[in-house]
Amino acid sequence: MKDKRITRYILAFIILIVAVVLLFALNIAIGSVRIPLKDVISIAVGRGLNETYSRIVMDIRLPRTIAVFVLGGALALAGYLLQTFFHNPIAGPFVLGISSGAKMTVAIVMVILVGHSIKITSGGLIIAAFVGAFASMGFVLLMTRKIQTMSMLVVCGVMIGYICSAITELIITFADDADIVNLHNWSRGSFSGMTWENVYVMSVVVFITSVIVFLMAKPLSAYGMGESYATGLGVNVKMLRVMLVVLSSFLSACIVAFAGPVSFVGIATPHLVKWLFKTNKPIVMIPACFLGGSVFCLFCDMLARTLLAPTEISISTVTAIFGAPVVILVLINARKERG
Amino acid sequence: MSLALYTKNLAVGYAGKPVLEDVNISLNKGEIMALIGPNGAGKSTLLRTLARQLNILNGNIYLDDKDINEYKRDDLARKVAVVFTDRVKGELMTCKDVVESGRYPYTGFMGKLSDKDKQIVARVMEDVRILDIGDKDYNAISDGQRQRVMLARALCQEPEIIILDEPTSYLDVKYKLEFLMILEEMKKKSDLTVIMSVHELDLARRFADKVVCIKDGKVDREGSSSEVIEEDYINELFGISSELTDYARDKQISVL
Repeated sequence: MKDKRITRYILAFIILIVAVVLLFALNIAIGSVRIPLKDVISIAVGRGLNETYSRIVMDIRLPRTIAVFVLGGALALAGYLLQTFFHNPIAGPFVLGISSGAKMTVAIVMVILVGHSIKITSGGLIIAAFVGAFASMGFVLLMTRKIQTMSMLVVCGVMIGYICSAITELIITFADDADIVNLHNWSRGSFSGMTWENVYVMSVVVFITSVIVFLMAKPLSAYGMGESYATGLGVNVKMLRVMLVVLSSFLSACIVAFAGPVSFVGIATPHLVKWLFKTNKPIVMIPACFLGGSVFCLFCDMLARTLLAPTEISISTVTAIFGAPVVILVLINARKERG
Repeated sequence: MSLALYTKNLAVGYAGKPVLEDVNISLNKGEIMALIGPNGAGKSTLLRTLARQLNILNGNIYLDDKDINEYKRDDLARKVAVVFTDRVKGELMTCKDVVESGRYPYTGFMGKLSDKDKQIVARVMEDVRILDIGDKDYNAISDGQRQRVMLARALCQEPEIIILDEPTSYLDVKYKLEFLMILEEMKKKSDLTVIMSVHELDLARRFADKVVCIKDGKVDREGSSSEVIEEDYINELFGISSELTDYARDKQISVL
């Protein structure tokens, strides 16, 4: 039994890693200009002969693909943390309004800074998004004092999301400026226009956050069984809850700062990964969710770029098509289990 | 004999509002204490406070003559284990996974089980007679089996004191007897001290060394089971009116 399980974990990890590598390569090769895989490889090892190809890969596709990999992973991890925190299978940064809160503060900060002709840095974006994410999370936590059922909590989160989105739209409408076009694209969710500076900052931030999350695997496994049992096993539950709130808000903020709100990845990926691995052990789930989120986003972004090329579809449109059915399935199963 | 646990003017409750006050109880090592009393009297609140899951409102709890608040979390988890009424929220967990989680206070930073941990898990599962369901999904077993898995999980913490909240309430008579038999075996085998709340007075009388009765925000009576559990007093404790006593006598229902 034990060996069987470990074999399954190893197999599942291999599947995920192969999928990441494959989709990564495809994302770089496919686009308005098709670049043969052998050229992709030669550019990757620094011996690209075709100047145009090198430019496209190094300036546009590679930073974007890395960003999708990093942010997709972060998004799934944020979803997993929120689902663990609330003991709620349909929690996620988007449905709880955390993404929208972050979006609102980023929009406010951007409009103010654009008005004063100041360019915002990646770090500044993250901080702005974190403030919004944290505020929304605080609001949701206040709600949990009044509301116990998981569906009502999600409904409240969606409402918070609508309020924040409405305010964001208002801000964007009033601030008519050339840069607002970008802002508009971003506010619908998009991985386009990633710079190397963006990629560098997000990679460092997400990497550090993910490592911290992984180091919390043991207390998280106890917390997942319920708070009273975790306390009984010697877990500092209060401290753990604070950490969970901060880390999940931080991860959500990172994504919004660079790609805007991306729906359904955070909520659906943990379930897909759970089905693939047949476990909910944090020590397996944390790295697996990260990879799973990357695969999900790499796949969806590839479709977003290519389906109606040269027009790009917003990423959330694609993630919703694949993510929403998963959520529906989860809800049906949850109903069945309760009888 | 030495005291495993005693309280001094303990007040327990939620959000600063006391449910029970002036609780002074004590229990020797290796003894079984049963808490009885009407629904909502505060038995669970007291048990949760004794396990340091709720803040003490007033007074002190001493384990081995040391104030409970002076214990580190890990040390307390190696000393006191709980089986409460809340269900474990395990998803995709086998019974063995649940039992293994009891080794938490002993495992290292990443929670990997050592050979010794695995031996203890295997031994406890044998003691509690759940070796055969180890690989079954925790959510797919019967209530009686689940309760034994919960007991095994708690015993894996190798506690000196085990605190159980109505462990037998939802079990049928066979599982009830089985559960109590295992608990008593464990008590004899490892000098375990047991504190539990029960609704079945008959079980409390035959099973517990000491009975604590809770009513109207205080400990109403404390003593050996034969001293405490007698009909008149029980009628008073649970507020059974003379009309009800007559009815019970008429139908030959024994309240004990």
